[in-house]
Amino acid sequence: MSNPVKIVMVEDDHGHAKLIEKNIRRANISNEIAHFDTGQGALDHLFSAESLANGPLLILLDLNLPDMQGTDILAEVKRDERLKRAPVVVLTTTDDKAEIQRCYDLGCNVYITKPVDYESFAAAIRQLGLFLSVMQAPVIE
Amino acid sequence: MRTALADLIDRIDRFARQRTLGRSIVLALAIAMAALLVANLSTFILVQRTAQFNERVDAQWQARRSGRLLLLNLKDAETSHRGYLLTGRPDFLLEYRGALTAHEAMLENFRRQIAVDNPGAAEAEEVTRLSREKIAEMNQVLELFRAGRAPDAIAQVRGGQGQALMRELDEALTDVDRRMGSEIAQATAQSEGSAAFTSVVNAIAGLLILILAGIVFLLVRRYLEDLRASQAALDRVNAGLEETVRARTAALTRANEEVQRFAYIVSHDLRSPLVNVMGYTAELEQAGKAIDLQMTKVETVAPDLIESDALTATREDIPEAVGFIRASTEKMDRLINAILKLSREGRRTLTPETLDMTVMVRRIADSVAHQLGQADAEIVVADLPELESDRLSVEQVVGNLIDNAVKYLDPKRPGHIEVRGRDVPGGWVEYEIVDNGRGISDRDHERIFELFRRAGRQDRPGEGLGLAFVRNSVRRLGGEVAVESVLGEGSTFRLKFPKRLILDEAGDPL
Repeated sequence: MSNPVKIVMVEDDHGHAKLIEKNIRRANISNEIAHFDTGQGALDHLFSAESLANGPLLILLDLNLPDMQGTDILAEVKRDERLKRAPVVVLTTTDDKAEIQRCYDLGCNVYITKPVDYESFAAAIRQLGLFLSVMQAPVIE
Repeated sequence: MRTALADLIDRIDRFARQRTLGRSIVLALAIAMAALLVANLSTFILVQRTAQFNERVDAQWQARRSGRLLLLNLKDAETSHRGYLLTGRPDFLLEYRGALTAHEAMLENFRRQIAVDNPGAAEAEEVTRLSREKIAEMNQVLELFRAGRAPDAIAQVRGGQGQALMRELDEALTDVDRRMGSEIAQATAQSEGSAAFTSVVNAIAGLLILILAGIVFLLVRRYLEDLRASQAALDRVNAGLEETVRARTAALTRANEEVQRFAYIVSHDLRSPLVNVMGYTAELEQAGKAIDLQMTKVETVAPDLIESDALTATREDIPEAVGFIRASTEKMDRLINAILKLSREGRRTLTPETLDMTVMVRRIADSVAHQLGQADAEIVVADLPELESDRLSVEQVVGNLIDNAVKYLDPKRPGHIEVRGRDVPGGWVEYEIVDNGRGISDRDHERIFELFRRAGRQDRPGEGLGLAFVRNSVRRLGGEVAVESVLGEGSTFRLKFPKRLILDEAGDPL
């Protein structure tokens, strides 16, 4: 990623967060990653003046959060005039059909199920990293 | 026969001893019937008596009339006799003879009518005697007159013997009249008495019947009121029951939904830590390899620095531990996926349709043809009855059972699998999947249907999921699954479904 896109990771499981970060780094992605383990913390950050002023964003979102549903955050983001163009990658354990449909309906850009098998998991995250490296994120104005 | 009779008596006895409404009504009706019978009987007797009485009165009147006619006839004869004596004209004599001829028949008639009892016979004799004597006297006078001794004849008439006889006869017949009159009066009085008695009996019986009818009416009305009251009570209880059933059903449905949701959530939430376990195990493995590499390097450069314990730990203990963690987490993942699959199947919407089971099962049989060929086995699918149910569920159930039959064939003999079915009275249809495979021991017949449980030699891959899934699905379709099996001989799995699957509003079988 040539432009300084900031990655906002919303993930309540610190183990997962660390594994995701490790594997993204292994894919040679060096962008700044801001990690939030609660939905509210993530929302507060996303809607703060600082983040709005700080250029393009990419959101990595887990659906099962302790304080709210990931889909609620997704809905908030996509409802916001300025944030709605920020790409959202849903990265979660759920592979329920209804849930996947709902996320795409709400405007998520990519939906990835975390594979339990670590090799696949690591591969998936690395591929996501490769994907991110060629992806263009819109500028937030 | 005797026991039957004794039983009947016993029952009647018990019935009579119990103070019940039925007994009261039967008793009242029996009394009413008896009263009616008595009234009828007395009326009948009265009618009989009246008829007898009328007959008797009639007979007596006939007799009295005959007596009077007899007397009149004799008087006619006497008149003609006197006329002849006075005039000597033979036509008087002709009349006289006619009267005498008639007399015999009249006398006979009179005797027959009157000589029916003792006094009657005596009276008949008396009248006969007097009338004969009178005729003899008249004939004697006639003989004298004809013999030309007219004065003697007149003198005899003047002697008054004939007249006295006539008077006596008259008196005798009057006696007869009187006796009969008094007898009739007596009989009339008697008849009136019995008529009055009958009237009274009838009146009492009528009154009794009216009273009993009233009692029965009251009893029946009370009974009907009781009946209505108990009907109402029953209705209330029924309404309560329906309410209870509805409440329980709702509670059960809720509980079931909760269990489903629970299974779903648990399996998802269990996966999340599993990702970590597996991930960091892989990281550990990588780290171990890095250390191992380092150790090898150190070993070649400075073998003294290497502790043999550290070497064992890096080269054996760590890889072994990682291997076990990995195998267990993989297994756990499979189990979680199994639970997830079951819970998904439990949440799937059922759509009943008519299923041509013969076609469906033959297609399933074709899909295992390859395995069957390898195992030197055959599958026979008979013509199967149709079924109205959810296609996917039935397909999965039958598919699972056929897969199992193929999977657990006994290699010692050529495999034979048969699928057959029949309609069962009461709106059911039954299918059997019969194999001659390795069979299942008695003690495992229930266990095999439990989640993650397997039976027999564990030489085939599997999670112990198939039959749990089968039982779950069959129950959801309102059916049953059962197994009959002898270890070493084969198994028969029996599926029983309702012929038509009817769903309630919640989408569950009724």
